[in-house]
Amino acid sequence: MPDPVVTALGLAKHYGGRPVVQGVSLELLPGQILGLVGANGGGKTTTLRMLAGLLRPDHGSGVRFGRPLHSTRAADRAAFGYMTQRLSLQPELSVLANLRFRCAAHGIVDATTRLADVTARYGIGSLLQRRVETLSGGQARRAQFVATVVHGPQLLLLDEPTAGLDVVTRLDIWRWLHALAGEGVAIVISTHDLADAEQCDRLLHYQDGRVEGPLTPAALIAASGASDLEAAILHRATQS
Amino acid sequence: MSSAGRIGGVARLELQRLLRARVTFTLLLLVPALQVVLFGYAIRPDAASITVAIAAPDVVFAQQLAAVAQAAGSTVVAAGLAPGGAEAKVRERSALVGLEAAVGAGDGAPAAPPSLRIVVDGTNAALTEPALARIEAAFWRTQVERTRSVSARPRLEIQRLHNPDGLASWTFLPALAGVTVMIAMIMLGSLSLARERESGSWETLLSLPIRASEVLLGKLLPAAMLGVLQGVLVLAAGFLLFGLPLHPSVLALLLLLPLFAATHFVLGYAIAARAATQLAGLQGAIAFYLPAMLLSGFLYPFESLPGWARGLGNVFPLTHFIRAAHSAVLCDATPGVVLAEGVPMLAFAGAAVAVAMLAHARRID
Repeated sequence: MPDPVVTALGLAKHYGGRPVVQGVSLELLPGQILGLVGANGGGKTTTLRMLAGLLRPDHGSGVRFGRPLHSTRAADRAAFGYMTQRLSLQPELSVLANLRFRCAAHGIVDATTRLADVTARYGIGSLLQRRVETLSGGQARRAQFVATVVHGPQLLLLDEPTAGLDVVTRLDIWRWLHALAGEGVAIVISTHDLADAEQCDRLLHYQDGRVEGPLTPAALIAASGASDLEAAILHRATQS
Repeated sequence: MSSAGRIGGVARLELQRLLRARVTFTLLLLVPALQVVLFGYAIRPDAASITVAIAAPDVVFAQQLAAVAQAAGSTVVAAGLAPGGAEAKVRERSALVGLEAAVGAGDGAPAAPPSLRIVVDGTNAALTEPALARIEAAFWRTQVERTRSVSARPRLEIQRLHNPDGLASWTFLPALAGVTVMIAMIMLGSLSLARERESGSWETLLSLPIRASEVLLGKLLPAAMLGVLQGVLVLAAGFLLFGLPLHPSVLALLLLLPLFAATHFVLGYAIAARAATQLAGLQGAIAFYLPAMLLSGFLYPFESLPGWARGLGNVFPLTHFIRAAHSAVLCDATPGVVLAEGVPMLAFAGAAVAVAMLAHARRID
């Protein structure tokens, strides 16, 4: 059995004494897709930020590639890709300039070859010369996704990557995610969309800062006695 | 709902937003408080800040001239110097005005009236021109009281060093290069970070394997280049449009420009590292450059400030840049004199880098 990419035990975060999330425990193996599901404000983004080392947990601990989650060493941030919910590319620059910056940040020597590879793989050749601020929401999200994976990370932390997207872009992103998982990339994806949740191997269910799981979608449905995932989530929400 | 109701609704919303923003209180309190302190206590141009050196052939004449200088409200820093000594003091910038007196020929020849040469440091015309007028008036008043004979009155000659025509533009333009670079760099520094934070790209930047020092240097290099270009353009305008003398020592000043620009960019960056918004970053920038402009000798003569304000003024890199610029452009000082002003700039830059690195969190909490 391969070593886990990420393990976490009892992560918790408070803001101003108010618990935002508590009891996050997980173990993520290469090639697994873990979905963080639940209502907005449930602590999904906070969990992703703790896994990315951008927030220090108030309680609990964990490791990413054998290094503490809260490490601020630049080298510890090289092996994963983190995609925020907000568009984080430089809007006044072209997609190509943004991707070149990511290559430089990750120390990719032959950026031209790498960019040619990812451009072909993700089909964004027509977007390269366009300024990010001129792209549609779906195009910008595609570009942001490519920027997140351009260095070939073994772990992806994605915050609502499909929120507000058209169905074609959404399906494309999921196709890309499954292909990456097939190559052994571990993926953590937050979503409040149950269509996305159903595509995950396992789920952490967030409700008012408390966390349940990880469970497979089928196990979550069975544990709720519901007919499908939507009914299961609704059942849990009404029970809390 | 009526128009008044809608206006009231917008006003209520805006008031709530203003009251909840900490930056508003900074805007309302800090900047005016700073101005009250600086204009009330520091900016008090007075004649006592004019330093005078006196060279006279005899003690009596020297005492007479000292009395003239004091009557004009100036401070005598050296008296009884040998001929040429007062001018030397002005040239070495330890006095702003030198009074060089000479008596007429004696030993049987018809007595010529004594002569007085006033040597003025013209690098700060705004300070020395009014002082010159006061000293001149006091001198003539004294002479009129001493002698009724017009023919016996001394000849008076005025020599302005470094700025022969006493042009205010010659004083301001070299300093303006520093002021424009300072404002642009500190603004760029503070906005570069705050903009990233507001747009959301800061969080992504933190997740990348880039050290804080690498982020700072990466942002600094192009900004400092722009700052140098800006300073060069202002100086070039001074040389081409206002006839500023183009001495070789200007090259030494150009060597200081990158350090000066970088120092202010880093300072802006340090401010922004703790500012939540672009507005807060700008507010912090203003809170720095306003006193810098007031206490550096740009708007008001440095020598006219009280001791505590001069001490504070010496902290600002702008003060040293202005000195270096006047030394290089107007005085044709040696490169060593010009570059020596870079030492306090370097110390300030080191402190700014330390603050920026400490303030640059690697996390968002």
